[in-house]
Amino acid sequence: MIEIQNLYKRYHGPHGGGWVLKDVNLVIPDGVSVGVVGRNGAGKSTLLRLIGGMDTPDRGRVIRKGRVSWPIGLAGGFKGAMTGRQNVKFVARVHGIKKNLSKLIQEVEDFAEIGKAFDDPVTTYSSGMRARLAFGLSLAFDFDIYISDEATAVGDRAFKAKAREAFQQRVDHASLIMVSHGEGTLKQMCQAGIFIDEGTARWFDRIEDAIEAYHRATGLITDVADEDDEEETPVEQLDASSVKAQLRSLRQEINELQKQHIISQYRLETTTDEDEVAILQEQTELLHRKHRLARKRFSELKQHEQASARR
Amino acid sequence: MATNTEHIPDSTRHPMRVTWDVWSAMYLREMIARTMADRMAWFWMIFEPIATIAVMIFIRAYIRGGQNITGAEFIPWMIVGLMGFYLFREAMTRPMGAVESNRGLFTYRQILPIDPVLIRCFVEGVIRSFIFLLFIVIGSLLKINMMPDHAFGVMMDWLSLWMLGVGLGVLLSVASGLVPEVGRVVKIITLPLLLISGVIFPVTYVPAQYQQYLLWNPIVHGIESMRLSFFDSYHSIPGIDMTYLWMWALSTLTLGLVMHVRFASRLKAM
Repeated sequence: MIEIQNLYKRYHGPHGGGWVLKDVNLVIPDGVSVGVVGRNGAGKSTLLRLIGGMDTPDRGRVIRKGRVSWPIGLAGGFKGAMTGRQNVKFVARVHGIKKNLSKLIQEVEDFAEIGKAFDDPVTTYSSGMRARLAFGLSLAFDFDIYISDEATAVGDRAFKAKAREAFQQRVDHASLIMVSHGEGTLKQMCQAGIFIDEGTARWFDRIEDAIEAYHRATGLITDVADEDDEEETPVEQLDASSVKAQLRSLRQEINELQKQHIISQYRLETTTDEDEVAILQEQTELLHRKHRLARKRFSELKQHEQASARR
Repeated sequence: MATNTEHIPDSTRHPMRVTWDVWSAMYLREMIARTMADRMAWFWMIFEPIATIAVMIFIRAYIRGGQNITGAEFIPWMIVGLMGFYLFREAMTRPMGAVESNRGLFTYRQILPIDPVLIRCFVEGVIRSFIFLLFIVIGSLLKINMMPDHAFGVMMDWLSLWMLGVGLGVLLSVASGLVPEVGRVVKIITLPLLLISGVIFPVTYVPAQYQQYLLWNPIVHGIESMRLSFFDSYHSIPGIDMTYLWMWALSTLTLGLVMHVRFASRLKAM
């Protein structure tokens, strides 16, 4: 269980700083996975850092009952000159593991799947390999609460699938607090939600409600809905030749839309940039909607054509 | 994967236990970094002080002339002074970068900014002590009289110089973390410190009426005291007092530790 009481946080910079978080009061019960949503810079990552104990609040406190992880997949603590194995050993020792050290190292090595590079200095790693090692390392420990800041978005597709699976296995007996812009991921992994807006945090028992509140606050739903209101002539008023022409063009449009949809979905899965993810998500949603509408119109026209042919 | 995971020993490790785990892990990490980091790191670790001391002795012997040290041979006298000063200097300057270069580690909330600082001080002391012992052994083999007359006294003085460096190092690690310019200033004044600490030129050369100002510098006390323990017949200036050095060491260490407690979160966040 994590209890947050009267939490205030601000960052002092050369230009001063407003409150990032103001008077946050939350209780995160055991065994409930929570998704944190909010726009960029709302303080999601700050809240996560405070929960993880990497930062101290200016006022108020965070009470942790149970073992809380560091943010999953964070590769910041690796020393470049040391090998992957040495880095893993170091983290294990910091966490007080002595007896099962070799077992843990074996586990990380198996999970990361970076082969012989495990014994090379970390400076020689690509960012993907680093991410694999960091992810494997966080999952090798048995925490009660895992913290994740956009962590599922690392590595190639195969690794992502594997990571997600391992992640979900974890969620069975541990809980998760995650920040993500991937709403599908959030809905899949979390039950409850926290929506952060203008320094305050609101708790929702259902993640869907938190996402909806976020959408409503940013006005995302109305924007997307507006573009769907196209004027269409009723099917009955069309003659046979124009129906044929429309069917042909619609078929082309559907193919095109489907292609675009697949491309944007793929890009969404491979990108790691936060801003890009948000944009792509919107785009994918829109394409999907258009595609559906076109299909609907197409089948409508087809039916009309068949009906008139029979007549 | 989920079933055969590692259980962290117990969720509530005693704070002392956590600290010990962190320190032992960091000690190994730091040692590996110092000795294995790049090609021949261990060789340079040993050869560098040999080379610098050789250069210093060369300069003093052939350019300046005048190597009459009352009651001690010149080369051992130089080696003892330089080794003592390097111990102090390294213990003081090495921790300054410790917080900055280990920033990534603060992801793990078990690690505080003070941990890398103390570990560096310790590692530096261990490495310097090892090199000093090596010098004594090699010197003895080369028939240079490197055996201390009062071994225990030398060890105590060695420890004192180390503690003086640690105290200043801990204090400066916070200060340079908060005000980066401090680091530059300290690097600038280390060379003048070498000159006014009586490492290369005997303090007895200084006119009597100025010797009292020389004694404001705690390093002089440490180095001269170590030479007195090393060479039975050595004569130094009056007023060498190890209590004065320990006052410096303990007060800077206390102040440094207090500041580490006070500014821990600020050092972490920057």
